Formats: sequence, structure tokens, C-alpha cells
Amino acid sequence: MKSRVRELREACGWSQAQLGTRLDVSRQTINAIETGKYDPSLPLAFRIAREFAEPIESIFLFEDVP
Amino acid sequence: MDASSARFPLRVVSVLLLAAAIAVRLLVPTAPEWASGLILLSAVAVGVMAMSRRATACDGAPRALQRRYTRDVLLGMGAYTVLLFVSLLLLRSVEAPALRALIALLPVAPIALVLRAMVHFIRGVDELQQRIEFEAVCIAAALVAFAYMTAGFLQAARVIDVPASAAMLWVFPLLCGTYGIAKAVIARRYR
Repeated sequence: MKSRVRELREACGWSQAQLGTRLDVSRQTINAIETGKYDPSLPLAFRIAREFAEPIESIFLFEDVP
Repeated sequence: MDASSARFPLRVVSVLLLAAAIAVRLLVPTAPEWASGLILLSAVAVGVMAMSRRATACDGAPRALQRRYTRDVLLGMGAYTVLLFVSLLLLRSVEAPALRALIALLPVAPIALVLRAMVHFIRGVDELQQRIEFEAVCIAAALVAFAYMTAGFLQAARVIDVPASAAMLWVFPLLCGTYGIAKAVIARRYR
């Protein structure tokens, strides 16, 4: 799943480690979400949305596989 | 404690177990052959666990959690090595079945502590690391079960003849080693 996490994080001036600390996850988890290798759980996705004060659907872009 | 220093004690445990395997072979000539083999396999398993931590996302686990895990594994494996020595030495002179059972089970207690440390660690890491751990444990369990079933068929057909005690004792070190390798491979997907 594509996401705007990297774009939003960089706009806030945070490193991956800093965002990880704010969300109580590891830097590696943030990196995996940003690169689309890992889809976060619903609770974590909501925490990310709350951290950036954006609606969840504007951060995570679901692509239906045909 | 950074990631490299967190890995250091596990490597030390691996080397100590290796030395213990050699010591059992040289200093306790009456010890059964599987004893040194088992310690050697434990050394390999801990070594693989230490190496796999380098390749996995668990480097990102909270430092307090890493510290506690490393400390508990260190203490558990250290106590295991000492108690295995004590157990082997005492079993040479004790004949009463009940007492022999008690002495034979001495090394099991610290292994239970290591298992407890592993469960605490898995419960304490974040969701991505939990997924990696879960997949690694599943794959390791499946591979070891497959290997044992294969060996079981060969044993039943009298193609091989592995002593039952050795086969049972090697389950846990094999599981740890396979789990370490599986974790390193799975974690690469998320890097």
C-alpha cells in the first residue's frame, strides 16, 4: 500500500527515528511503511493519522489489485 | 547500549558454550557423547541468534527490552552450562532413580528462563517485529517438525539409528538455530 508518510514526516522535519519514538514503534517499522513493504495495523494507521492531523484515507492510498 | 553492544554478550555466550563443549569432551571422559554435542549445538544456536539480530529489525527494539533480553539469555545459558556440568558429574555417582531424575532435570530450569525471556521479548517489540518473529517461529517449527518426521521414517525403516535421548535433546537447539536463520531471511524483506 502506498502512503504519504515520508512526505508528511519530512514536512514536519522529523527523522524516521523521531517519528518512531512518537508512535512507539521502531525506526525500521517507519522505514518499512514508507517504502510500502509493510502495511501498518489499523490502530497504528490511526495513530499516524492523528500524529499528522490528517484523515487516514489521505495518508494511506489503497490500490485495488485487479 | 547500542545494537552492536547488545549483540556482544550473545556472541560471548556462544564462545563460552563452545569452550564448555570442548571442556566436557576433555575433562569429563565418562560423559555421554551427546553432552558435548548438545552444548556445541547450543553454541551454534546462540551464535545464529546473535548474527540474526544484526540482520533483523529487532535492532530497533526498545533498549531496555534488548538489555533485559540479553541479560536473561546470558544468565540462562550460563546457568545451563554450569548445571549441565554439575548434572553430568553427579550422575556418575548417583543411582537412586528419583534422585537421578532430579539431577538430570537440573539444566532444564535455566532453559525455561531463556524461553520466558524470548516470550517477554516478542511481547515487547512492535508490530512489524512481532510479525517477523511470528513468521520465523512458524517456519522454524515447520522445518524442524519436517526434519524430525523425515528422520522418523528413516529410523522406522532402520536406515538410520539415532539414539532417542540425543534426538529429543536436539529439538530445542535446532529450533533456536532455524528460528535465527529464518528471522534473518524474513527481516530482509522489510529492509
